[in-house]
Amino acid sequence: MKKRQIILNADEIPRQWYNILADIKMNPPLGPDGKPVSPDMLAPVFPMNLIEQEVSDKRWIDIPEPVLDILSIWRPSPLVRAYNLEKILDTPAHIYFKNESVSPPGSHKPNTAVPQAYYNKVFGIKRMTTETGAGQWGSALSFACSQFGLECKIFMVRISFDQKPYRKTMMAAWGGKCIPSPSPETKAGREALEKDPDTPGSLGIAISEAIEAAVTDESGQTRYSLGSVLNHVMLHQTIIGLEAKKQMEIAGEYPDIIIGCAGGGSNFAGLAFPFVYDKINGKQIEIYPVEPAGCPTMTRAPFVYDHGDTAGYTPLLPMHSLGHAFIPPPVHAGGLRYHGMAPTVSQLVNEGILTARAVGQQKAYEAGVLTARSEGIIPAPETTHALACVIEEAIKAKEEGKEKVILFNWSGHGLLDLAAYEAYFDGKIKDFSQTDEELAESEKIFAAFPKPQFIKNV
Amino acid sequence: MTDKPVDELTRRCPRLGSGITFEYCLISGEDDLPCWKILDCWWEIFDVESYLKANLPEAVFKRLMSSKPVNKLASILEIAEKAKKQAEKSRNT
Repeated sequence: MKKRQIILNADEIPRQWYNILADIKMNPPLGPDGKPVSPDMLAPVFPMNLIEQEVSDKRWIDIPEPVLDILSIWRPSPLVRAYNLEKILDTPAHIYFKNESVSPPGSHKPNTAVPQAYYNKVFGIKRMTTETGAGQWGSALSFACSQFGLECKIFMVRISFDQKPYRKTMMAAWGGKCIPSPSPETKAGREALEKDPDTPGSLGIAISEAIEAAVTDESGQTRYSLGSVLNHVMLHQTIIGLEAKKQMEIAGEYPDIIIGCAGGGSNFAGLAFPFVYDKINGKQIEIYPVEPAGCPTMTRAPFVYDHGDTAGYTPLLPMHSLGHAFIPPPVHAGGLRYHGMAPTVSQLVNEGILTARAVGQQKAYEAGVLTARSEGIIPAPETTHALACVIEEAIKAKEEGKEKVILFNWSGHGLLDLAAYEAYFDGKIKDFSQTDEELAESEKIFAAFPKPQFIKNV
Repeated sequence: MTDKPVDELTRRCPRLGSGITFEYCLISGEDDLPCWKILDCWWEIFDVESYLKANLPEAVFKRLMSSKPVNKLASILEIAEKAKKQAEKSRNT
């Protein structure tokens, strides 16, 4: 019997989070008026202790004991050696993954939901609000609030509310109040319903409702919560990578390659950022955030990433600007445009410390099924993108005859997302690629638009 | 690529995590735009670029193509400011 799992003792759980902002230079976030955001501006939305984390540049931030106590329900999470996957691929690569599917809600999300609930509680907040689509984040926050005796109100996009009964049930089991959005509870909701009483809703409306519910509570005891993108979320997720470092040491190995799926960036950042610290300090590691394949015509003409339009930005040399001179590699991710991605992740891609990768739908599901059949866990659809990249790298290692060490984040299980696999098994998901001629035809559509610039922090 | 009519197309939305129709993507963006991911999500399934160019009003198509990543904190603050002003207004009327 092989020893597949490396489990840390409870007292080996990391005691501090790692803050990447200590080691990379970011332009300050700007508010709607174009000026840098001050902590006071955020005070109606978030509690001040989280705002302090959001803007902190301290490298190490203590994890409070009550947070560790709740995290210890499932943490430290196992580091697993994927022996079966290695065997099926016939690869000399050593493949490891952090299994974040073991948390009560089934993903990495409670790693930040729990500290957020705690900090709100100590700040005197009585209830938290948030939005959710299919319910992954909503269920994580409900779970976290139940641990600290907070009320939790989740505005769930209507189209998902009607489709996902079991996530709603999970939220209810943890005491969360899940409301279909748009709802009559907020002005934003009422306006949307007035426009169309049968509207399926949207994330934009749900976010507006959740924020409105927080900032208009006259008691001042409600705050809003977000599951990805923001700095304090990335900070909390670094517990994944910090545990992985200890576990890899026990395994006697250090990763050559680190992979994680990246939507908002939090599970990827959680695993990768502690290793980015090593890379910045000289370690040779390839680090890949993996996304669904972006539209090729769009990825050939990357748009401005303009998080922080302050003075200090300068364009790169003309040879790196766009148009026909800029030919990205074939698997170029859509990430240069970075809608919805954490600014820290985007910045690190722009700096060349991370290399964005992209995977088509079919490859992702193929990887998911292969890994389910070899390692047993059915991955969340998001995780399948990381798995596809892992398999690519493992095959490459075989071709090169190298014993590369690959570490990836298994961000969640797919047991409440099996409809996605049904679509794959019904043959509804196919990869598609365009010839150069077809791409050229598509590009004509964009011929009239100005070519944006790829700009970099200086 | 699919031969299905556009209004029969469905897929899993990576932002929501739920199944949606293409029609939903056309209406679920901000500022009366389609969702900013519409091209990324559908290009593998049908010629979505040509469809959008042919079927969206020109101004909407241009705005969609030119849309830039949103500064998350700024958008949160904007929503919060708007909500507080509206609440203040309701209290005073």
